Amino acid sequence: MAVDESGAIASVVRVGIWLAGEAREGAGSLAALRELGRQGEVELELVRDVRGARDLAEGGELDLLVIEDPGAPGAAGLLAALREAGPACIAVTAAGDDAAALAAFRAGARNCVSSGPAFSAELPRAAIAELRRHRQARESAWLAQRIGRLQRYDENILQHLNAALLAVDLHGRITFANASAGSVLGAAGDELEGRPVWDWFGEDGDGSSCLARTLREGVRFRGAEIEMRRSDGAAVPVGISCAPLLDDAGVQEGAVAVFQDLSEIGQLREQLLQSEKMASIGQLAAGVAHEINNPVGFIHANLYQMSEYIGDIEVLWSRVDELGKAVESGDLEIARARMAALRDAAAEVDVDFVLRDLGKAVRESQEGSERIRHIVQDLRDFARQDSGELAPADLNGCVDSTASIAWTMMKHSVVLEKAYGDLPQVRCNAMQLKQMVMNLLVNACQAIQARHGDSGELGRIVVRTRRDGDDAVVEIEDSGVGFGPEIAERLFDPFFTTKEVGEGTGLGLSTSYNIVRRHGGSLRAEGRPGEGACFTLRLPICGPGVEAQERP
Amino acid sequence: MSDAAPVLLIVDDEEQILNALRRCLRREGFGILTAQTPHEARKWLLEREVRVVLSDHKMPNSSGLEILAMARELRPRTARLLISGWPEQVPADRLASLGVRALLPKPWDDHELKAALRSALEAGSAGPGDR
Repeated sequence: MAVDESGAIASVVRVGIWLAGEAREGAGSLAALRELGRQGEVELELVRDVRGARDLAEGGELDLLVIEDPGAPGAAGLLAALREAGPACIAVTAAGDDAAALAAFRAGARNCVSSGPAFSAELPRAAIAELRRHRQARESAWLAQRIGRLQRYDENILQHLNAALLAVDLHGRITFANASAGSVLGAAGDELEGRPVWDWFGEDGDGSSCLARTLREGVRFRGAEIEMRRSDGAAVPVGISCAPLLDDAGVQEGAVAVFQDLSEIGQLREQLLQSEKMASIGQLAAGVAHEINNPVGFIHANLYQMSEYIGDIEVLWSRVDELGKAVESGDLEIARARMAALRDAAAEVDVDFVLRDLGKAVRESQEGSERIRHIVQDLRDFARQDSGELAPADLNGCVDSTASIAWTMMKHSVVLEKAYGDLPQVRCNAMQLKQMVMNLLVNACQAIQARHGDSGELGRIVVRTRRDGDDAVVEIEDSGVGFGPEIAERLFDPFFTTKEVGEGTGLGLSTSYNIVRRHGGSLRAEGRPGEGACFTLRLPICGPGVEAQERP
Repeated sequence: MSDAAPVLLIVDDEEQILNALRRCLRREGFGILTAQTPHEARKWLLEREVRVVLSDHKMPNSSGLEILAMARELRPRTARLLISGWPEQVPADRLASLGVRALLPKPWDDHELKAALRSALEAGSAGPGDR
């Protein structure tokens, strides 16, 4: 019947009895409570003095103490001590001794039973009532403790949640904010309570703030991206979910919002995009280096050779000079000898060849430097700063200049075919489109390398453009490894890649997809495993319509 | 060039590179043949007593290693050299298995190139069993 720490009800009830004396024992409490013992398991412990009673009450897990002689010295003190914390006490008083009963009550007894004729029935009844009350008290104390613990537990969870959480009332006053909320908002958590949430989540003129709408209309938001103003005035992008807070009757009493600072995620995303760009630039650079290396090689060798030719010519010239001096002096003999020396020297250096080849070496070197200049020009066009604006552009030109750069890095493994149709000027961001076409070409080239490896077999890439109604269409088809439907589904997912870890960020196609979407166009991929793939890019010639705007 | 001059076959897809190499080696005492395709190279190897083959590595329609393999097959006693813009990317085991005598960088150093060809020629004439 007793309740233990864990909340289970113990079956054994412990009752202490402070016997008044040998004389009353037989007809006293002991006999009456033994009767009680038959109904359930009751342990009776007897003591004969105040000290024993106190030890028993304070030390053991006593459920009830019966004091047969509340008038005994020390009994009142014990009752007072047990009133606050301890088992309930029942005092046994002499029949009709109301004064003793009153005194016992005053001292702290929970009940008094007089030792009249009904004593043997009264005492067990009173004992059961007290035991029940005692049990209830202990149960509720235990429950209160447990509720307190749960509350602290919940609060701990909310406080230490990694996400920022705050609750507001119907007026938008903060009723709860956890530590993360404080740090995102830029204020100490305990300063937030009671302040209007609009100090940070400004209620825009158009009332589009999620929180405002949740409060006003009771709608839920999940993962909306909005901008919040920190206490220091800085604007911070946050992802926020809001839900109405209802009271027990189901009436809205406020709203709860969970939000997260996205600036770090945004930075991370940007870094990855940048690294993707750098990776394709790296690949591009390797191709370009290859392409520049040949002209550099022969210009380098030619310069060396030309300086040798100049040495030869200098030798000849000194002979000519000597001959001239001899002619001026009028000494025909010497002049003849020097003429012979000049002829010998001319034959020695093979002057006809040198003069012919010098011109050829200069021409070839000029061609080489022209090739390098052209490559650098292409690169510069490709890497030109992005103004971010849409303007009419020659799509075929964009595709072709990109293809010609891409060609430099793939010409050893790929045959590139071009089939450009007639296209009007297309409203687009030329730089972004070039980047995207480059991504697709690099991808196609990698797919071909993945299929053929170093076998020396050539793959094939076909770049086609055509007009289809109001759209300009660009197709890039490759004979690479291709892909099955399970990959096609995920192809444009950010971070999806079939490449080895470290070889691709998985952002190339997803970036391409985003660029196309910004243009109000579409990008479709078809492929068959082992047979190649075709990416079809479709752009509205007049630029993006209203529906093509990016999500906030 | 006299008939006695040892014949050097240079293979590269770029005409200007061939011309530059020809210029550089003009006074080295070789009879110089050039080829821009495997087909041309094969023709020279069949028709002429080629002693040394110097081939570019990466070419649009073949690789230098294939050219040198063909040279070994048609004329096992040729001294074979490879020239490459990315020498570190050439697989070392293939070089060894083809008995490639030297791997030269591109752009090349004239003196280094001449020295490599000279030593290839000497070693070639010294060791008839060269593979």
